[in-house]
Amino acid sequence: MKDYTDQQLADLVQADRVHRKLYTDPAIFDLEMERIWGRAWIYLGHESQVKAPGDYLATHIGRQPVILIRHTDGEVRVLFNRCSHKGAQLVGEGCGSAPKLRCSYHGYVFDTAGALIHIPKEEGYADTGFAKGKPEFNLRQAPRVDSYHGLIFASLAAQGPDLKTWLSGAAASIDNLVERSPEGRIEIAGGCFRYLHDSNWKMFVENLNDAMHPMVVHQSSSGTAKRVFDENLKEGDAVPFELEMLAPFTNNYDFFDKMGLTAWDYGHSVTGGEYSIHSAYSPIPGYMEALATKHGEQRAREILAVNRHNTVVYPSFTLKGAITSIRIVKPVAVNRTVIESWVFRQVGAPEELFQRSITYCNLINSHANLVGPDDYEAYHRLQQGLQTDDSNEWVSQHRYAGQDRVDEDGVKHSAGTSDMVFRHQFQTWKDYMVGSGAGAGA
Amino acid sequence: MSVAAVVEQPGAEVSAPELREVERFLFHEARLLDEQRWEEWSALYLDGAEYWVPATPGQPDPKNHISLIYETGLLRAVRVKRYQHPNAFSLQPKPRSAHLVGNVMLDHWDGAACVVNSRFIMLQYRREKQDVFAGAYTHRLRVERDGFRIASKRVDLINCDAPLENILIYL
Repeated sequence: MKDYTDQQLADLVQADRVHRKLYTDPAIFDLEMERIWGRAWIYLGHESQVKAPGDYLATHIGRQPVILIRHTDGEVRVLFNRCSHKGAQLVGEGCGSAPKLRCSYHGYVFDTAGALIHIPKEEGYADTGFAKGKPEFNLRQAPRVDSYHGLIFASLAAQGPDLKTWLSGAAASIDNLVERSPEGRIEIAGGCFRYLHDSNWKMFVENLNDAMHPMVVHQSSSGTAKRVFDENLKEGDAVPFELEMLAPFTNNYDFFDKMGLTAWDYGHSVTGGEYSIHSAYSPIPGYMEALATKHGEQRAREILAVNRHNTVVYPSFTLKGAITSIRIVKPVAVNRTVIESWVFRQVGAPEELFQRSITYCNLINSHANLVGPDDYEAYHRLQQGLQTDDSNEWVSQHRYAGQDRVDEDGVKHSAGTSDMVFRHQFQTWKDYMVGSGAGAGA
Repeated sequence: MSVAAVVEQPGAEVSAPELREVERFLFHEARLLDEQRWEEWSALYLDGAEYWVPATPGQPDPKNHISLIYETGLLRAVRVKRYQHPNAFSLQPKPRSAHLVGNVMLDHWDGAACVVNSRFIMLQYRREKQDVFAGAYTHRLRVERDGFRIASKRVDLINCDAPLENILIYL
C-alpha cells in the first residue's frame, strides 16, 4: 500500500481539478474510510425502523458493521456488530427484533445497550480478568449518536461539531421533508433497493448535483417516454405519473442552469430550490387540504413551494423532499459501492402521495429499470477511464470556476450546471483528509 | 383426467394436452426475448397487461412497496422502443440472454384462462460479464382466438432483495 503524506494528498485537490487517483487508488479509499467516514456524521436509519425496545437495523458506518438498536430505556444505541469474545458478527444485515443479542458461536449474551450479561461456563474465567461489568468486554459503541427529526446519524469520532451545526443548510431540507406530512411525521415504508455499482462512491455523490448529465445520459428513457406517451395519450387523458417523472430529465440546459446550486459548510449541497424537475407534478387530490388543516393555507403553500431537487448530506446521504425518498451511500471498496433507496410515508397524507413516491423509485432507482442503469453506465465508464495510466492525470472541474457567489452567511451559490458543488465537495474532502478534521470545507 | 382434477394432484398433470400447449407458449415467449424480437414479445401481452418483478419475497402488492419492475401498457412500449435507441448507453454493447423455462405446472385451468407456475433461469451477458438470475414465473394467460395472450406475468427472483447490478433484459 502506498503511503501518502498530507502534502501529497493536498496536492491531489486543486482549485479547478482533482487527480484521478482519488477515484481509483485503494490506499486513498482506505484513508477516506478512516478520515472522512470515520469522522463525519453518517446516516444510519430512521426511528420508525426501530420503534420498540429490541428493534434493530444492522448496517455500516463506512466499512464498520454496526447495529442500530432501541434499548429498554427508549434510547437508540449504535453498537459494533462484533462479539467481544472472538469477534463473530452478532446479527446479519437488515432489520429484526431481539430482546438480547446472543452470539451464535459460543452463546455469550449482550443486552440492547451492549453490556455483556451472560458468559457460558463463567467459572472458566476465574482470575483471568475477563468478566461481566467491565466496559472493555461490552460491545463497542459509536462514540456519538444523534438524530434530527427522527433521522439517526452516528459518528466514529468522539470529537466534532454537533449534528445540527454539521447539517448546516441541509437541515432545512429535512425540515421540509417532515413538514410535508400533515401530521409532521414521516415513517420508512415500502422496502429498499440495494443497487450495487462497480464504481467509486464519489461518482454517485457528485452525480446527484450534476445538472449537465440528464439530457445526455437519460435521453433514451426520457425522450422515448415523451414520444410514446405523446403518440398514445388522447386529448383530455390524465397525464400519468410516469410521464411527469420521466419527461423533465430531458429539459434543456437553461432549465437546469436556472434551478441553481447552493452549497454549505461540511460539503453539503442542493440543486434547485424555487423549482426543480419535480415541481410540475399534478397535485394529489386532498393533499393540499390536509396540509392546510395542519399548517394553515399560507404555510402549506410555502411548504410545497420548496422545490429542492437533490440534497446531498456529504458523504453518506441524499434526499428528495418532493419524492419523500432518500438514498444511502455505502462504500464497499475503491470501485464498489452500494446505493440504498428508501421511501418515507408522509403520515396523514393521501396514500396516493406515497404510491407516487414508490412509482418514482421504481422508475428511477431500480437496477432493472430505465434510468438507473444509464447512470450506472456513466460511473462505470468513468471508473474505467480514470483507471488508465496516461498523460492526463486530472479530472476537470472548470465549469463556471471563479463565478461562485458567496453570500454574507458563507453559503455558495451558482448556476445549476456549474462545477461549483464538485469543487466544494473536494475542498471538504481535503479538509477531512489533511486538515483539521472538522470538515468545514473552504 | 381433466386438468381441474390434476390441480388437486400436483405432479400428475404432465399428460394434460393443455399443459403441453402452455409450455410451448412459455418457450415461445422466452425465445422471443432471447432473439430480441421485442415488438413480437410485447404483442403477446394484452392491453393493460401487468409485468411485475417484486423487490421482496412474497410481496403482496405493487402499489405500496417498491418493485424492480412494475409496468403496464405504455411503460412496456417505452422500454421496447428504448431497446432500439441509439443513445441507450447501458445497452451498448448489447446485452444477450438465454432464458430457460421449466417445471411448468398449471395451477388453474378453466378453458378460457389459466394460471401457470414455472421456474426459470436467465443468463445475461454483456461486456465480458455474465449474470445469472433465477426464480419463479406466474403467468396468467387468456385463450384468445389466435392462441394464448398474457394478462399478467409475475417474476419472483430468488435474490430480488439482494444488492444487485443491472438487469437489462426482461426476465
